[in-house]
Amino acid sequence: MRWYVARRLAWALVATWLAVTLTFGVLLAAPNPGADAAAAQCASQDRDPEQCRQQYLESRGLDRPAHVQYIDYMTDLAALDFGYSESQEEPVTAAIADAWIYSAQYFVPSIIISVLIGYSIGLYSALNRYTLTDYLGSFVAYFGISIPNFWFAIVLILVVGVYFREASLLGVSLDALSLRTYYETSYGVFTVENAKQLIMPVIVLATASVASQMRYSRAQALEYANADFVKTARAKGASTWRVLVAHVLRVALVPLSTILIVDILAVLFAGSFIIEAIFQIPGLGRLQLEAITQKDTDLVAAVTLIPVFLAIVGNLIQDLAYVLLDPRIDYGDR
Amino acid sequence: MTGPLLEVTDLRTQFHTDEGVVRAVDGVSFDIGRGETVCLVGESGSGKSVTSESITKLIPIPPGEIAGGSIRFDGMELTDLPESDLRDLRGSRIAHVFQNPQETLNPVYRVGRQIAETIRIHEDVGKEAARKRAVDLLDRVGIPDAAERVDDYPHEMSGGMKQRVVIAMALAGRPDLLIADEPTTALDVTIQAQILRLLNDLQAEFDMAILFVTHDLGVVAEVADRVVVMYAGRVMERADVYDLFENPGHPYTQALLACLPGRGDATTAIGGSLPSPTNPPDGCRFHPRCPHAIPDCKSGDQPPLHPVPDPDAVATGAGNPAGTGAGGPPGEPVRAAGPYDDTDGAEEGGWDEVREATVSGHVASCIYYRQGYDATTVRHDDAAADGGSTDQGASGAAGDEEGGGS
Repeated sequence: MRWYVARRLAWALVATWLAVTLTFGVLLAAPNPGADAAAAQCASQDRDPEQCRQQYLESRGLDRPAHVQYIDYMTDLAALDFGYSESQEEPVTAAIADAWIYSAQYFVPSIIISVLIGYSIGLYSALNRYTLTDYLGSFVAYFGISIPNFWFAIVLILVVGVYFREASLLGVSLDALSLRTYYETSYGVFTVENAKQLIMPVIVLATASVASQMRYSRAQALEYANADFVKTARAKGASTWRVLVAHVLRVALVPLSTILIVDILAVLFAGSFIIEAIFQIPGLGRLQLEAITQKDTDLVAAVTLIPVFLAIVGNLIQDLAYVLLDPRIDYGDR
Repeated sequence: MTGPLLEVTDLRTQFHTDEGVVRAVDGVSFDIGRGETVCLVGESGSGKSVTSESITKLIPIPPGEIAGGSIRFDGMELTDLPESDLRDLRGSRIAHVFQNPQETLNPVYRVGRQIAETIRIHEDVGKEAARKRAVDLLDRVGIPDAAERVDDYPHEMSGGMKQRVVIAMALAGRPDLLIADEPTTALDVTIQAQILRLLNDLQAEFDMAILFVTHDLGVVAEVADRVVVMYAGRVMERADVYDLFENPGHPYTQALLACLPGRGDATTAIGGSLPSPTNPPDGCRFHPRCPHAIPDCKSGDQPPLHPVPDPDAVATGAGNPAGTGAGGPPGEPVRAAGPYDDTDGAEEGGWDEVREATVSGHVASCIYYRQGYDATTVRHDDAAADGGSTDQGASGAAGDEEGGGS
């Protein structure tokens, strides 16, 4: 077991190195907007734009051969020096330290909510297969999968932020239901105001993710619903709830936990850019987007490392969780 | 309290499938006395497992449905008992043991915990006390070092051990009725014998009745007090175990017995296969495969259960001219009782009377025992097959009849 973990951690280093190298290569090949801006400024002042471009690159060590830059960068990274962010004008670590809390505060609730709701609907659907409620659950799930995040977010803003403000139902103004449509950073994290402004981002993100949780849990529950040990549990006199949670869900958790990690990462990658752009949340997605457009190599590479790290550590934790979830799995002699 | 522990009367269980309604159990009646072992016998797909799982409604509902009949357990009508009351019965007064011990235990829980679960569902017992009882039960079902094996996971045990665990789990509620659905089929022969002996010992100790579902007549001979032979969702014959083996009445039972190694011809098989479950044949469901089938077997409903005369009467019947043997006294009780298994003849008040005449005795659902038919046709074949020296002649005669009937 210890040997297994050690090998997995070694592999994590290799995977991290690969991801960083790829990011570095792509950014090296991309045009540099900072150098372009410097050249344009010089040209407007009747100076030689090429000379200014050179100056700009030289001052940042970007004129050196690619392999020298690469070795330099990797040596710094190995010493856990993540570099300085040009776009944020602060060290990379400081920029990430400021941003992550804004991502986490909508991300964590939406994962919890989507798992709770997704598994509940999934198990209920499995239990009441081919009934109206099952079809309704499937409809909700496919609705969530099919609808693009950005469109759903904009429609929500329109309905909640604009229509509710003006509309009234039976003489009662719906203004109370209207919510902030963009993020205000001045509230503390654990305040009611903050919770209120996070409702919409959480809904948008959870809608996308609840669907897959629901479909997978339904499929897994169905796989075990007719298993002999479930019949045994019923023959013991266990209640439907107990059969479902203690026997069906408990065994289904093994494959479901695999999907959960993949799903969380997918939402983190794809969802956060869009959500943070639309709701103007200064989180990791926005940070990454700004870093990419301004060719802020150090920051892009560091932010890229976050999902890579989560994926690798998440997969390791999940493999170790298998041992707890399913006693038949044992890494002892590997 | 007198009367049988379990009375199943005209049970009908059906499944709604895309291909149509499958009448898996179509008018099955039998009863089980306290402390008695009744075997449900039949080939795969004959409805015996569905019958056993209909009793506490373990069948999946929907698509399954108990469409009719009554199941009385110790005076309670189970067919219209609410689910919560059924749950109280399951695992306490009525326990189940299933076929494949590899699959019947939950792979992620320790065996002790799974036994304790049964105890704690039905009794207000603490964790420690339940665990202690689990150890005692494991010890009782013959698991060595029970105090240590209680913390094993199912995959750490052999098939025979797992089945012992499943039996311990069933005993946890001190059941009055144990429903054992092919409990030895998935085990190898030496383990089979051990499990059968264990069940036998436990039955005496716990004073429980056992409904034993099996297709293995060797097992039947070992454990049964009485036997119910099923075919295609119907009861073909019901008899005391000695009567069944010594004096099988229905051609299907005879064919099953002929398949037993060391009895009749070891290479004998019943030709053909089970009829379509959605569209069973008219008349006797066994007629397409029956060597004695005559045109009368092929129309109408399944023949009602008629009393099968005891061996002495058969001897007399065989000695006398055929007509007298069938039309005489053996036919009388049937007429007095009326058709037992008919769908339309079932009057509420008439059941007890019908039961009196038929349930306890040796009955078969075969037209030859009806008044006006010659029972010796069926009996003679059986007698000849037992005789050994006249084997050739008998099978020749059976072949002739088959040819004439079709």
